[in-house]
Amino acid sequence: MGCVKGIGMAVASWLFRLGLAAWVVVACVAGGGAAAAAEQRLVLYSANDNTVNSTVAEAFTKASGITVDVVSTGSGVLFRRIASEQERPQADVIWGVSSSLLKENSRFFEPYAAKERNAVAPEYRDKNNLWIGTNLQILTISQNTAAIPAAEGPKRWSDLLDPKWKEKIAYTDPANSGSAYVTATFLASLWGGGDPAWTKLGTLLANTKVLNRSTLVFEGNGSGEYPLGISLEYAGLLWRQNNAPVQVVYPADGTVAIAEGVAIIKGGPNPGAAKAFVDFINTKPIQEQLLRTTFRRPARQDIDLASLPGHMPPLSQLKIVPYDDAKWEASRRETLARLKTLIQDTR
Amino acid sequence: MMGSSRFQAGVSLLAFAVLGLFLLYPLWLVLQSSVQDEAGGFTLAPYAQIVSSRYYLGSLGNSLLAGAMSMVLASAVAVPLAFCLARLQVPGKLLLLALASVPMVLPSFVGAYALVLLFGRVGIVTVALRSAGIAVGPIYGMPGIVAVFTLTLYPYVLLPTLAGFRAVDASMEEAARNLGASRWHAFRTVLLPIVAPSVLAGALLVFIEALENYGVPAVLAEDRPFLALDIFKLFAGESDPNAAAAGALSVLLVGCTAVVLLLQRSYLARRRFATGARRAAPPIPASRGWRLLATAFCWGVVLLSLLPFAAVVVISFQHFQGPVMSWQPGLGNYRNLLKGSYRPLANTLALASLAAAAACVLGAPLGYVLARQRGRLSALLGILATAPFAVSGTVLGIGLVIAFNSGWLVLTGGWLILVVAYAVRKLPLSVRSASAAVHQIDPSLEEASINLGLSPGRTFLTLTVPLMLGGLAGGAVLVWVAATAEISSTIVLYSSRWTTMTVLMLHALEGTAPGEATAAASILILVTTAPLLLAYRLLRRHSGSLL
Amino acid sequence: MRAVDGISLAVAEGELFTLLGPSGCGKTTLLRMIAGFAEVERGSIWFGGQRIDQLPAHRRNIGMVFQSYAVFPNLTVEQNVAYGLRTRKVSRQDIRDRVAEALALVRLPDHGARWPHELSGGQLQRVAIARSLVIKPAVLLFDEPLSNLDAQLRTHMRVEIRRLQQSLGLTALYVTHDQEEALAISDRIAVLRGGRVEQVGPPEAIYRTPQTAFVAAFMGATNIIPGVVAGFDGTAATVAAGGAAFLVRGQAGAPGAKVLLSIRPETMRPVDRPDADGPVLAVRLQLREFLGPLLRLHAALPDGTPIRIVTLGGHGVPATADGTLSLAYDPTQIIAFPAP
Repeated sequence: MGCVKGIGMAVASWLFRLGLAAWVVVACVAGGGAAAAAEQRLVLYSANDNTVNSTVAEAFTKASGITVDVVSTGSGVLFRRIASEQERPQADVIWGVSSSLLKENSRFFEPYAAKERNAVAPEYRDKNNLWIGTNLQILTISQNTAAIPAAEGPKRWSDLLDPKWKEKIAYTDPANSGSAYVTATFLASLWGGGDPAWTKLGTLLANTKVLNRSTLVFEGNGSGEYPLGISLEYAGLLWRQNNAPVQVVYPADGTVAIAEGVAIIKGGPNPGAAKAFVDFINTKPIQEQLLRTTFRRPARQDIDLASLPGHMPPLSQLKIVPYDDAKWEASRRETLARLKTLIQDTR
Repeated sequence: MMGSSRFQAGVSLLAFAVLGLFLLYPLWLVLQSSVQDEAGGFTLAPYAQIVSSRYYLGSLGNSLLAGAMSMVLASAVAVPLAFCLARLQVPGKLLLLALASVPMVLPSFVGAYALVLLFGRVGIVTVALRSAGIAVGPIYGMPGIVAVFTLTLYPYVLLPTLAGFRAVDASMEEAARNLGASRWHAFRTVLLPIVAPSVLAGALLVFIEALENYGVPAVLAEDRPFLALDIFKLFAGESDPNAAAAGALSVLLVGCTAVVLLLQRSYLARRRFATGARRAAPPIPASRGWRLLATAFCWGVVLLSLLPFAAVVVISFQHFQGPVMSWQPGLGNYRNLLKGSYRPLANTLALASLAAAAACVLGAPLGYVLARQRGRLSALLGILATAPFAVSGTVLGIGLVIAFNSGWLVLTGGWLILVVAYAVRKLPLSVRSASAAVHQIDPSLEEASINLGLSPGRTFLTLTVPLMLGGLAGGAVLVWVAATAEISSTIVLYSSRWTTMTVLMLHALEGTAPGEATAAASILILVTTAPLLLAYRLLRRHSGSLL
Repeated sequence: MRAVDGISLAVAEGELFTLLGPSGCGKTTLLRMIAGFAEVERGSIWFGGQRIDQLPAHRRNIGMVFQSYAVFPNLTVEQNVAYGLRTRKVSRQDIRDRVAEALALVRLPDHGARWPHELSGGQLQRVAIARSLVIKPAVLLFDEPLSNLDAQLRTHMRVEIRRLQQSLGLTALYVTHDQEEALAISDRIAVLRGGRVEQVGPPEAIYRTPQTAFVAAFMGATNIIPGVVAGFDGTAATVAAGGAAFLVRGQAGAPGAKVLLSIRPETMRPVDRPDADGPVLAVRLQLREFLGPLLRLHAALPDGTPIRIVTLGGHGVPATADGTLSLAYDPTQIIAFPAP
């Protein structure tokens, strides 16, 4: 008993000293900052998933000798961090976020003209070189063929209005997902804008389950939890490639290509490494490798998609509809409020 | 008692300083936008917007309902469980207690993921039941969320209630029986009311935690709005950033918590039960049948609460191809996981231990002052010391970044900022445990020590702290466990060198390797259960207050 | 080893019966057996014609006052007193009347709405008593009820308990380790030792004619002096002890037998000169304690064995130059027990 009591006391006093030390350190750390590392590093803020991040980080380190420190989470959180760290930026590069977010936050970026920028079509990069597209996300419908036979699924966006799909369609909350916002506003435009289009959109939303994160849509569609998903091209291809019964439907009535890109943070700790990374990520081999491992459709136009896994149809074969970025960006808050009401009213 | 009040004032001052610097200041930096219009003037427009918005009122209503129901159900599960553990001969008590804490070790999003695989519309259990002709509703929506909260948060009620039952003198129950009360009547009219403050303290933590939790409704709410989700979306969603509205909702959340705390305080003010058993109540000589029933109940509840985590472990041994699981056993997840660095595991353990220690150092004297002092100041301090629990981790995290990214104190990019965030956010757990422990120490002991010439500070360190060791260690364990599972502030504060297990799991789950997430979760369960078991064993031997 | 072994006691109606003994003697266990909190392995407990040892504790209709009072902290004084009535489903009006009556009995008529943490120890004790009285128990059990009170309050409360018990005609079983308390309060006392009964009887008998050395020693500060029987003259025996010869009523033992003499301090009376009326003992005075009404003398027998004497008043104690003192005594007051 005495012995155990002794151990208890010892543990307690050890814990106590540890805690005291922690607070003392907090009190003493003033202006210390990060120690200057001897090796060259790059801090990458990425909204891409782990597989993508590690593929690129490893390849970049191999090619340049620069170690990549990846901080990865949703793009909303990343820009929150960047805004909060404005006084003393912690990151060099942000990558994997949509062009609309890049445009909105371009005040944080340092312009840089990437070496091979001309391989990317002008509509997928900034004219002042503040950011450059690395890949394109195509809005698609994912169909779980175990739940719905391949031939019986919707072929067009307007097919989703059919009441037989009630509660069978998964959709991401547009308040939490940029691409879901683009989908909703694109459809409103596609259907002519104005109240009739919004009524139609309401009918579509009434058929959906609105989930909180896009991963839930991909997962749920892949497992059959939700037979249909308003989704992105890469997700459908990825699940299909891994033997999930998923079919990617490019809607015949048109779709949107959203560019995702990379930008250099103004005042970041390693500007040289940042530039090297932006150049690196836009090279042909890396873009091909990204397609191979995670089905990111390259922003470069000079890649032969047919010869690569997934056999993506070239953009020219898809009915890509122009999307009025600026308009929907300007009216984002009201539009989201309207969508929110629409979603709640159709529950 | 001049010196004593100086000691208390000193502790209060220290607590105000630490909480002011690491909680209020960062929060103010974030929340000031909610009371400033574009020209920088004062406005309450975001608040008016929320109060007039059907959507946000619905969201608030859902959150409060889920919190209240989880609180009630968690108590309904935990109180009988605590009674059985305290008074009946149930085999494997220590193991039960350690296992009951496991749900708190894992971030809730992992459990939610596993639950969908089991109980979703095409989950294996759902499908199996359906093919057996039993129709089961989906796990989504309020029932599923409340069930998950109940089963993961009930340990918050279990631990204090268990300690409470152990602290009731045997003569209380005997007096009731002697006056003609059956065991059940005595339990209902005497034992339960006496431990009610302990139950309430735990139940409040459940309520607040359920209100603040983001991971569970994110997966299981589908279309239903929840406050914590809305705060996250408004604050850090990629599509609808509106810091002012997020700030207003956060204030609302903290406000709800403060109201509930004040209610608890006024309730406790009328009930000042001196506890501390001279003679602990003996085990009830139950018949074989009852003992069997109690054993089945205890193990049943604990195992049920472990179901999602058992599912996680089972799933971790399945074969994954990319994000797609097939029901074929395989070790691929572990192979892939162990190829990577062990650093996140070490980080999690180190950060959680440091945070637990730091929370103890601050929580012990603070809990002491809160228990011994009953004034306005201590009421304020009490709310301040519980508020961190209700603050969304994302909001506090961003506040910490803004506050300590530059200037005289730079913490971003290192490990310290994570320790600070964990210690501050989980401080209420250690304060409450410490406070409960102090309530059971006779003040005359301290007076004797002061009378013998030790300063109040030294008396606290050399007499009170050893006496409250059981409670302190219990609090440290809770903080440790909660810090291990922390994700919402981590994701805002971590740097690649200080990646934690939760970050690893979130990335794997959100990315293309949920299998690795389950493997990481399984390893975390394994690594944390052993220290928990050890801690509880030590606690029992040492204080006897727990079992 | 049994806590309680082979005890057979009968308590009469309206009697206050005390179980007295040092801690660990089994008195509390016996009480708890009667209340139903400790199991009876063998044997039985009867109330009149009803056997109760098989009944669960809450069906026995026995009141009990606990050492720690066990006043429920979550109920007011009134609610505490009403507790047993509620469990008996007494009507609301009756409860109110009987609670008021009980509180008046223990002299707490205005304290009904108070909370236990607002009361003093003595008041808590009264609440506990009122709570037990109000259910009109067949027997009232007291488990060291005064041990948590200060000395003055203790004396006061025991008078009150006795007054209540007598005026209500209650049958009470009282446990204490304090012999003075036992003597003051009881109709009869059972002295327990090691789970067995040493002696049962009214207080005077227990005090004056203890049947064992243990009882004699336990019943107050007696002088126990080892000695050897020297002879017997038909009415009194002579015992050699402490270097002196004592006269003891009765045979005491065979000549040469070892005995223990119990000599109560108040039975020795200092005298001026050897008196022809009875035996006299010469001792050497060492210390005197003045206790107000009493004087306590510490003295030594010829071989140095210490002996204590208590006298009333204290005047008239001669202090000779060499410190010798003559003590007169009555041989019937000295009791000899066979030495163990």
